[in-house]
Amino acid sequence: MLNLIVSRIAQMFFLLIGISFIVFMSMHFAPGDPARIIGGPTATESDITNIRISLGLDQPVLIQYKDYLLGVLQGDLGYSYQTNESVNEAIATRFPNTLNLAIASMIVAIIIGVFAGVISALKQNTWLDVFTTTGALAGISIPNFWLGTILILIFAVNLQWLPAGQLTAPFWTVEGMKQLILPAITLGTGSAALIARMTRSSMLEVVRSDYVRTARAKGVKEKVVVFVHCMRNAMIPVITVIGMNFGFLLGGTIITEQVFAINGVGRLMIDAIANRDFPMVQGSVLLVASLFVIVNLIVDIVYAFIDPRISYD
Amino acid sequence: MKKILFSLVALTFLLLAACSSDSNGNNEQGSNGNEEGGESAADQELIYATTSDAPGLSPIDTNDSVSSNVVDQVFETLFVRNSDTGEIEPRLAESYETPDDTTWVIELKEGIEFHDGTPFNAEAVKYTFETLIDPERAAPRASLLAPVESVEVEDEYTVVINTKEPYGAMLAALSHSNSAIVSPEADQNGDINQEPVGTGPYKFVEWSKGDQIVLEKNEDYWRGEPGLDKVTFKVVPSVSTAISMMETGEVHFIDGVTSEHKSRIEGNDSFELITKDGTPVYNLGFNYEHEPMNDVEFRKAVSHALNRDSYVETLDGLGVRSNSIVGPQVFGYDESNEDLGYEYDPEKAKEIVEENGFDSETYHMLVPNRDAYINMGEIVQAQLSEVGINVEMEMMEWGTFLDVATEGEFDLTFLSWSNVTGDGSELLYPNLHSDNIGSSNRARYANDEFDQLVEASRDTTDQEARKEFLVEANQLAVEDAIWIPMHHGVIAAAVHESVKGLELESTGRWELYQVTRE
Repeated sequence: MLNLIVSRIAQMFFLLIGISFIVFMSMHFAPGDPARIIGGPTATESDITNIRISLGLDQPVLIQYKDYLLGVLQGDLGYSYQTNESVNEAIATRFPNTLNLAIASMIVAIIIGVFAGVISALKQNTWLDVFTTTGALAGISIPNFWLGTILILIFAVNLQWLPAGQLTAPFWTVEGMKQLILPAITLGTGSAALIARMTRSSMLEVVRSDYVRTARAKGVKEKVVVFVHCMRNAMIPVITVIGMNFGFLLGGTIITEQVFAINGVGRLMIDAIANRDFPMVQGSVLLVASLFVIVNLIVDIVYAFIDPRISYD
Repeated sequence: MKKILFSLVALTFLLLAACSSDSNGNNEQGSNGNEEGGESAADQELIYATTSDAPGLSPIDTNDSVSSNVVDQVFETLFVRNSDTGEIEPRLAESYETPDDTTWVIELKEGIEFHDGTPFNAEAVKYTFETLIDPERAAPRASLLAPVESVEVEDEYTVVINTKEPYGAMLAALSHSNSAIVSPEADQNGDINQEPVGTGPYKFVEWSKGDQIVLEKNEDYWRGEPGLDKVTFKVVPSVSTAISMMETGEVHFIDGVTSEHKSRIEGNDSFELITKDGTPVYNLGFNYEHEPMNDVEFRKAVSHALNRDSYVETLDGLGVRSNSIVGPQVFGYDESNEDLGYEYDPEKAKEIVEENGFDSETYHMLVPNRDAYINMGEIVQAQLSEVGINVEMEMMEWGTFLDVATEGEFDLTFLSWSNVTGDGSELLYPNLHSDNIGSSNRARYANDEFDQLVEASRDTTDQEARKEFLVEANQLAVEDAIWIPMHHGVIAAAVHESVKGLELESTGRWELYQVTRE
């Protein structure tokens, strides 16, 4: 296990350097000039040249990359072209919001998804099954921006139960939880649906297996059969889906953050791309990529705990 | 299993009930507070929603409307444009005179202090302007004062600006947000782009990046105490969410309202929609270096093909129809210009197209992917195809669009100009003077006669003469149809009914000094 972790971390290091190179180059060669965006449509050519020099954009691209990489290796992600804010700080202040949102959504997704999946597997071909599978299909199909807007209109504007936007209070306070509910449902619905489908099919397979029939034949209580004998085996593929989805959630909060005015990494990234704020884009992409890799590693480790048959040695 | 199901459902209901009673409680408190609190100072708080965060808060280092909205409350300029009369009036200046064409002697008001206690005087003005034009500072709007040769301090409250050549738009430039006066002390010892220090009615308190900017009342403000105690600029990227937040009382004021959201705002009795005819112009532009766009017959055909009256109707009152490029709210406009240009006449357009064979090619129309332009693009494309001009639309993200349009890789495109100075020279020179081909003259228009008229309007300090030059230059550009004005902007903001005294300027700027909440 230790070998696995060490080698994966070493791989991750090179992977991230590769990612930084690709992102750096694609930003620099993409159309759109950061200096022109800072200057705005009214800036003259000499204004723009001055801005370009002050940002160091007049240097050859490879030299710029070398300087950037040296900074990154020392833990310095650079400074925003737009606001001159330190990228480290910008990410540090926004990441907690994104993480809270992703975790809250994951909790929503797991509770709804696993629960719905198990029920629909155990009650296969009943109205409950049809209801949950149809719900799952709807959950995957509904776009986040629409769901978010509708939830705001219903729960914030009409019923006035929950606030319409922004995460301002800490998540452990009542106010903070209320602020998280709508965004978490919005973001979690898609994942909940995926988890429900995965749980259902995986449960159906396990329920029909020989050892479950044996357990029942031995007279083990139904609850124990479902929660101890079936769930443990059925959860392995589900955990993959949960892990992958958590990675996606961390990087995919963009739309939900836009709709709910949440100051997170997703919005930081999309604003940075629109403004051609290269250091900010590179920093946030590196963060999301690292998280994705880390989450995958954790999923692999969790496998081994859940299923002792899996060994990485 | 049933037990679990039941307890989950029960838990959900309990949670929702708890939330609802709690927030209802809050709401009641909130509204009671508002009712009682006409006099109570605690309620004089205004929350404004902005769709993006400000890149910076210093007038010297920024050039965008989001930053300017904050800058306009914290800093002040030497002159301001009166939003009713359009005349330029002194603000931090007391008076000015021009002993000759290249010398501006400006008397300053006395006894004013910056928020950090630094006195406002001729030294501060000199420092600000010299920093603005310093190439090392790379100020994005350095061009405002590009003609300035030197700034001298004559005495404590008199500053003399010498220009290389006569500079007609000097007063307009000095009333631009980006030429606001900064505290030299604060700029030398700190970063005013993060912690701005000006002379304005509101003082900077804090900025949590991406979230909000907070200002508070400047109690020692020289024109008397401002109306609000606290002003918060909240970042809410989605306009629809911002309107929802106005409905829940989390926001009191939004601006930049578009026709898309107008009906939702008008449908709510507790909102007020405030509009004012503005200086921005939205136009269809041609690439003067491509054939046949350089042929005036082609441009005429396009003008005749466009039914701009019906287009402006789609804006639901948030656009003004005018034939003039220099709009009704801009210095240099003359009503006589409305009779110019080429009226909607599809038959005539067809005739010209057939005569010249303009229907043999497909033209490339570049459109920024923002709602207003997409609407324009679709209407223009449909109307042109009716007279036989085939146009292929290419939509582009804003940053890329700016680059591609500046490179001249288009046949037709849409452009807009917010014209923050409200001066015609500042519209015609950057956009259509041949000096600026390759930068802001994206139409690549080059016409000697036009150039000379625009130069004359810039090089004259006599405002009457300037106006005549601008009227003539405008006439020429409209007859030449190098730009077809689609509409002139209407500035629109929505406020909660408790907000009183907000006045919009035609340039889209607003000041919160006189605003109060009732």
